[in-house]
Amino acid sequence: MNAFDAIVIGAGTNGLTCAALLAQQGMAVVVVEAHEQIGGLARAHEFHPGYRSAGVLHDTTVVRPWVVDQLSLVHHGLQLRPTKPDVLALGAPGESLLLAGDRLRTAGEIAKVSERDADAFLEYRAYLDRLRPVLSQFFDRQPLDLIDTGMGDLWAMFRQGLSLRKLGKKGALELARLMPMCVGDWLDEWFETDLLKAALALPAVAGTFTGPRSPGTNANLLLHEAAAGTGGVVAGAPALVRALEKSARANGTSIRNGIEVKRLLTDGGCVEGVELVDGEELRAPLVVSSADPKTTLLELLPAGTLPRSTEEALVSWRTRGTTGIVLLALDRKPVFTCAPDKNIAYAQTGGHILDIERAFDAVKYRQVAAKPVLEIEVPTVERPNLAPEGHAVVAVRVHFVPHTHDSGWSEQQRSTLGDQVVAELGQHLENLADTIVAREVMTPADLETSYGTTGGHIHHGEHALDQLLVRPAPGCQRYTTPLEGLFLCGAGSHPGGGLTCAPGGLAATAIART
Amino acid sequence: MVPRFFTAMPIPTPFHTRTQALCTSMFWKDWAGYYAVRSFDTCHEREYYAVRHAVGLFDVSPLFKYDVRGEGAMALLSRVMTRDISKLRPGRVTYCCWCDDDGKVMDDGTVSNLGDDHYRVTAAEPTYGWLCRNARGLPVEITETTDDIGSLALQGPTSRALLSEIVADTKKPIEKLRFFRLLKATIAGHPVIISRTGYTGDLGYEVWVSREHALDVWDQIYAAGRRHGLVPAGLDALDVTRIEAGFIMNGVDYQSAHHCLIESRKCSPFELGLGWTVDLDRPGFNGQAALRRELANGSTWATVGLELDWDEYEAHFTEFGLPPHVSSSAWRTSIPLYAPRRGGRVNGRQIGYATSGAWSPLLKKNLAIATIEPKFQVPGTRIRIEVTVEHERRSVAATVRETPFFNPPRKRA
Repeated sequence: MNAFDAIVIGAGTNGLTCAALLAQQGMAVVVVEAHEQIGGLARAHEFHPGYRSAGVLHDTTVVRPWVVDQLSLVHHGLQLRPTKPDVLALGAPGESLLLAGDRLRTAGEIAKVSERDADAFLEYRAYLDRLRPVLSQFFDRQPLDLIDTGMGDLWAMFRQGLSLRKLGKKGALELARLMPMCVGDWLDEWFETDLLKAALALPAVAGTFTGPRSPGTNANLLLHEAAAGTGGVVAGAPALVRALEKSARANGTSIRNGIEVKRLLTDGGCVEGVELVDGEELRAPLVVSSADPKTTLLELLPAGTLPRSTEEALVSWRTRGTTGIVLLALDRKPVFTCAPDKNIAYAQTGGHILDIERAFDAVKYRQVAAKPVLEIEVPTVERPNLAPEGHAVVAVRVHFVPHTHDSGWSEQQRSTLGDQVVAELGQHLENLADTIVAREVMTPADLETSYGTTGGHIHHGEHALDQLLVRPAPGCQRYTTPLEGLFLCGAGSHPGGGLTCAPGGLAATAIART
Repeated sequence: MVPRFFTAMPIPTPFHTRTQALCTSMFWKDWAGYYAVRSFDTCHEREYYAVRHAVGLFDVSPLFKYDVRGEGAMALLSRVMTRDISKLRPGRVTYCCWCDDDGKVMDDGTVSNLGDDHYRVTAAEPTYGWLCRNARGLPVEITETTDDIGSLALQGPTSRALLSEIVADTKKPIEKLRFFRLLKATIAGHPVIISRTGYTGDLGYEVWVSREHALDVWDQIYAAGRRHGLVPAGLDALDVTRIEAGFIMNGVDYQSAHHCLIESRKCSPFELGLGWTVDLDRPGFNGQAALRRELANGSTWATVGLELDWDEYEAHFTEFGLPPHVSSSAWRTSIPLYAPRRGGRVNGRQIGYATSGAWSPLLKKNLAIATIEPKFQVPGTRIRIEVTVEHERRSVAATVRETPFFNPPRKRA
């Protein structure tokens, strides 16, 4: 007899979302998490005594409103910001542009450098507003099965077609033109200010194995823009995790952390449960994994269990992590030289599209860019309690850092990466080097070890057109797998990585249907 | 040795110096990159009769061979083959085919369990890549041994007596070796593997020997063969015997799913009459889901044996004032088949095609192997087949027959 109806592997945002939704349907659900703390890529950790990080992923604006509603996350303590936080785009030392949460304010900032771009920016935003209702469906609906198309899928495609019609014939054709483009070319069509273009382009290539001159990156930009549904979560990713946990527990989910799954138990094409590293077996007719697809299907299953074609597709699934993390503990609040009087929580470097492209170039050759591009978060602005009184934490996502370093990742290499980031950041922060109490450097290889994602990929698999359309592999597109009872609910499934909670939510819906 | 697909000319088999000396006809063909004798004489007839009445000695070394070793060997082969290889005990050989993910046949061949997690696969086509592609994560070592191992087929009623004279160091006498079993032995002091298998449908054996000992083994067999009516035989004789035995041939009676340019050319094991090699109810193997579906929904084609009506055939020749004529060689062209109309005298719509055939000198029958719509596959069904007589397209009646056409009790005895 099974004590549980479902076992969810991994207590990241997707695992928790899926577990909570399944429990809401009346299932007895247990979540098993390998790490001592829940949260996955959104978990906070103490990287130096008294200093805590705010998770690897930090963009909470993409969390799906319907997940927030269905799981009553607000009731469970989630606070949503009214508008997106400001992001300070940093160019050459002393040069900056504030991308405000409010578009009129942003236009005002842009107008200081280019009147033309200020107008264009409002037009650009309005255009994205028109696309959003069409594109956001990507995040809120079951994926279309492009391999085994049944009548249901044809109907879904037809409906999708109908919503495309809202754009009009010209609009639909324009969308077909935009998706395969490179983000650099499209932004060139809109704007003349290099810093603005670079700032808008970065989210399209962050975490990918592409540069702003790579084809298809414009699709990532459009999807990223379409995903932004809320102003984000107050107190960031860890707060989202806490609310999800509360909701899951309120629905009766039990969460067991610090226990690692060794393998999936199968019998003749059906999954029967999981075997833990300590030898304990948990049995349930339903196992839902939020681990990345390669881990779930290639490592946790005995070789030869999957159909060869699925296995082959998963082996080719690209998971080259390109994001490094540098956490800095500072003995005072950081001061941005170009905005000394502002409390900046988010900033990013990359003054020119070509700076980002050059940073990407290096990773192709398994090297670290001479000038990596940085996404900077100062979590202590909103949550001063992450550091001792008066101190601060600066969390940097570093693009692009290779998972496999040309000459191997050594302590020396890691330290060099840290120095590079500090040097780059030091151009924008006053006396940075003197204020650092401690730092932690994590390469994609370290992320792989700490978070268990193959290749250290923060999205469980690259966001490229092909991997977004068929995610992760034929036969596993709709959260199902070739094994009966085994489902996927992580970022390696539609619609991909980030703090959307959509894969977890949509997986629960898919499971409920079967 | 240069990998053979990179050489412009065929290369010799391990037995080439011997076959070359005997091949007075100079009648060679390229078989999978090797020189292979079509017939040693100008006509293969003597070689054919040797197989049916004494023993024919074939050099079948060009057959692709793969040795699969290691703990995962059984799992790998179970996954690839339509047969459940986990049930193949040491010392046994099985015939089967292997499919792509859509349950379409890629090739057919044998799997031998040599014991100690060591298996040998034979194939008509290069299969190394396919085995490797299926081996992810499995502890196996896959080696292509095609060029390292010489293979001789001794086929015919006196093959057993011949081998029993020269085989030594066996655990049990060769006379006790049952159909589709193998044993390890020595010939001329060299280790060999002997399997009771073949492509003629007769009593027969195949001898597997490493390249360096190949000529010694040939010499010993050849010398002893004098007392047993042994005749070296070529592929033309083999082709007639395999049709009598009802064996299909990759590239002739069906096309490997690997090479088909259009879907409709691919075929399943069921369509090839190899349904009996499919073990469906077991852990997953390549093509399983598709084969289940096909079993439930029915197949598009069936493979059958045909016997052509002699009287009608002869009548066509008589009309031209000619005596009836059949080729002494097997043919392998696509010949249309028709549903019979008006009492079977006239062609209806096309219902399939014959892929190969031969006049059987032993059975005195005009035989063919054909791909046909399943509703015509019942033995005894009369259909019509195209024949060309004096440059004119005609047709004759043909009857669906059980295969093998020729199935002597000695084959299994």
